[in-house]
Order: sequence, then C-alpha cells, then structure tokens
Amino acid sequence: MSGKLTGKVALVTGGRGGIGRAICERFLAEGATVFAGDLSDTGSMGSSPQASAAFVPLDVTSEHQVMAAMGKVEAAAGKLDVLVNAAGIEIEKTIEHTTLDEWNRCFAVNVTGMFLTSKYALPLMRKAAGGGNTASIINFGSYDGFIADPGLAAYCASKGAVHALTRAMACDHGPEGIRVNAICPGYVDTPMLQSFFAGAGSGGGGGTIDSLRDAVRNVHPIRNYGTPADVANLVNWLASDEARYASGQLWILDGGLSAQVQQMRL
Amino acid sequence: MVSQGQNLLGRTAIVTGGGRGIGRAIVDRLVADGAHVLVCGRGNRPDDLAAEIAWVQADVGKSSDAEAIVRAARDAFGAPTILVNNAGIQITKTVVETTDEDWDLVVGANCKGMFNMCRAVLPFMAEHGGSIVNIGSISGNVADSKMAVYNASKAFVHALTRSMAVDHGPKVRCNAICPGWIMTEMAADGFDLASDPARAKADAIARHPVGRLGVPADIANAVAWLVSDQATFATGQCFVLDGGLTAASPLQPGLF
Repeated sequence: MSGKLTGKVALVTGGRGGIGRAICERFLAEGATVFAGDLSDTGSMGSSPQASAAFVPLDVTSEHQVMAAMGKVEAAAGKLDVLVNAAGIEIEKTIEHTTLDEWNRCFAVNVTGMFLTSKYALPLMRKAAGGGNTASIINFGSYDGFIADPGLAAYCASKGAVHALTRAMACDHGPEGIRVNAICPGYVDTPMLQSFFAGAGSGGGGGTIDSLRDAVRNVHPIRNYGTPADVANLVNWLASDEARYASGQLWILDGGLSAQVQQMRL
Repeated sequence: MVSQGQNLLGRTAIVTGGGRGIGRAIVDRLVADGAHVLVCGRGNRPDDLAAEIAWVQADVGKSSDAEAIVRAARDAFGAPTILVNNAGIQITKTVVETTDEDWDLVVGANCKGMFNMCRAVLPFMAEHGGSIVNIGSISGNVADSKMAVYNASKAFVHALTRSMAVDHGPKVRCNAICPGWIMTEMAADGFDLASDPARAKADAIARHPVGRLGVPADIANAVAWLVSDQATFATGQCFVLDGGLTAASPLQPGLF
C-alpha cells in the first residue's frame, strides 16, 4: 500500500487535531513530505504531542501567519502538491444563543482560513502541477453542509460556504492543474465528537454518554461512526494520482447516515 | 500508471458489462489488485480477455441469467464479495420519441439488470460481507438533452444504491460512482456525429476544470478504492467523478 505520495509535499492545517493528525501520519506512511500547521504543537484540543510531521505554527485566520507558513514550506521543499484544509471549529448553539463574536470566529476559521491558506498556497501548487502531475486541495466540508444537526447553526452555515468555495476554486484553478475537492465527514471519533457527547448533544434525551454513543452508532447503516483513519483513507486517495480526474466534488463519508431519511434523536 | 498493491487478493468479484470500455478497465484493475473476476456481457467472450478471467454470456435484465452469473462466480472462485454493476444501455431520444421497445431495453438493462444482480448476490454478501458499486451517472443528477429515459434510469440507480446501503448495512456496503464524460468508443461516436467534431471536442474539454475528458481508468481507480478495505466507512453515497464538469454552471459565457 505504501508510496502513493512519494515525492509529494503536503501541508495539513489543523494538523495536530484528531483528523488532521491521522492524515499527517498516513501521508508520511505514503512517502510524502508533510507539514502540520496548527495553533500549537499539541493541537488546539490538547492531543498528545508525539507526531513526526514537521510542525508549522499556523493560525489560519491570520494572513500574516499563513504567508509565513507558506514561506517555510517553500524554503524547505520548494513546492506544494497537496493542501488539506482540515482546521475547523464548532459552535454548539442556535443562532439566538450565538454571539456575533462566535459567529465571526466560526467563519474566520472554517471559511476565511480556507480562503487564506488556498490563496497563498496557489503559487507553490503551480510549481507542483504540470507535466502530467496534478496538485490537490482537499477542503473539509461536512455532512452538516447538506443536512442540519440541531444546535450547530453557525457550523452548518460555514460548511455550506466551504462546499460552494470548493466548486468555485475547482472551476478557477482546474486549468492550472490544481484539483479541488471537499470531504464531508459525518460523525467521526475525534476530541470534537467526544466533547459533543459530553456536552450539548446529551441534553435532549437525558441519557448517559454511553447510551448516546450507542444511539449514534445504531442510526448509521454501517452501525458505527467513523474514525480519523477512515477519513485519512479518502484524503489519501484524493491526494494521490489515482484521483487525477476527481475535481469540484463533495465526497460524503458518513457510514450511510445521510443516505436515509431519518433524524437523529439526541 | 500508478503502482498497485494486491489489496483484493483472493476476493471474488463480478463485473457486469465488463467486455469493453469502462467495465473492461474496472476488470483489469480488480485483477491487478488480486481479485478473481467473473465478467458477463451479452456478446461472446472478448478475444483479448486474459485466461484467468471467467466469462459468462448473459443478459442481466433476465433474473434467471443474473442468478446464473452469481452461481458461476461462486463455483469458479468462491462466494462473491464484490459486485460492480456497470452494464448499461444509452438511447438518445426524448420521451415522445421513445418506443415501448426502447423503454424495455434501457430500463431492462439499467434498472432491472442492476436490481436482478443485487438481489442474486445479496444473500452471499449477507453471509460473507461485501461491497457493491453501481455505475450511475451525472445524467441521473442533471439532464442530458434527448436522453430522457437514460437519465431517469440513472436516477433509479442512485436511489436503489441508497436503499440497499440502508437495508443491508453493516454487512454490505453499497455506493455508486457517477461518471461524467468518459472517452469510450460510445463517446467517440458521439463526437463523430457533430457538425464540427474537432470544435465539439475542444468545447467539451473547455467545460472540464481538469482540462480533459475522463478515461476508463479514472473510474476503475475509484471502484478499486470503494471495494477495498480503505473505504469501510463509505456507504450509501453516489460519488460524482466528472473532472469538475457539474461543479461549474452549464452557462459558460467564455465559450459563447
């Protein structure tokens, strides 16, 4: 299996988070040179610090930091084949309880951050594309960009914006050999999901974290929620030359959750 | 060509309509990945099909034929755990122009054929697990002109894909791939019919953000991923693989 990304250079934002970390590890196993951008070396959710992808300090909402991060990638590798925009945050509130600062923060990280990293990655990605090689941008959309989960208004809206931005970037930069796709995960076992189980998500039914977790598993046709490795499997495929005809699309990976007409009762 | 592993080693796969075009590319890829493959088609066994690939001449639109295909795969290689429903027929007609015979042909192959194959293989997959990949189409999401019944048949494929994922998970995963314009003999014939074939092709390419039309191997790459253990969380989805064609608005002033 190894070596699908040999010779490629990748930058993963949110690279020390639950899913970002799994992507970095997979990319390294496939032979890529990997840079993990994140707020801190231990990740914003305090994951364990052991990781071998080179750490790049990166607040995706800061134009200055994004430019500096791309400068580091250029100095170290000279090009960028793969950009994974995995940095993201969730605000677990209805719009009525969401403050303007929270709303702006959600869009700043999930949408503006993607705009900034992609904007400043493009010159480096043009150096990687061409001669039959394609460069690949992989954005993190969400199942919630199609179907709303309760109490996640700003998050749902931001992911809808990600989906539209993905299509727009695919149209604009495809002719330069840069493919742009979004992955739309459903429920994936990350610190963010565990926080959801422990917090607002358990409010409705009054059940325990365990009963909520089982309920979430059972509503999936595949009878489980996903793992970061499941997501990394698809990111790896989209980043690889195997996916050289894939562009402008939203790749839902949700264990069948959104294929059914069924509401989560949480 | 990207190097391939043997991650389907020993698996039994059935590919319908696998004699040429997209189906043939899928067959070649599954074989390269280590699967035992049985192929069916309405015609004779293609001369250039490798000896280790089994061939059954059959019409998937007939339920008895579909059952015979599945039995033949089991007898040759063991219980099938991969089914790729690729067989399909395309007719260029509006509703008004479509005859009863046209309807039977298109719906028989694209809808009933796919249904027959799934119904025949699901009992094996319920026992041994499995992954079904149906070849849908972007035409099931957005209409190609004068292809009314074909478009509708592909929407059927997409909906049945979701239903089977919901009903037969977690043992069975079921997804569709929705290709856009893939260069096969069928597509080449289409360009030849245009008043200015070269201009028609240049126009088609310009509408694809990736700057080219698809090739059968592009679809085979996605099938290989979906049936592998890399995709165990993927089910119930219709994945569009069209070089960005349907991400863009069909109204492109730059091409006027």
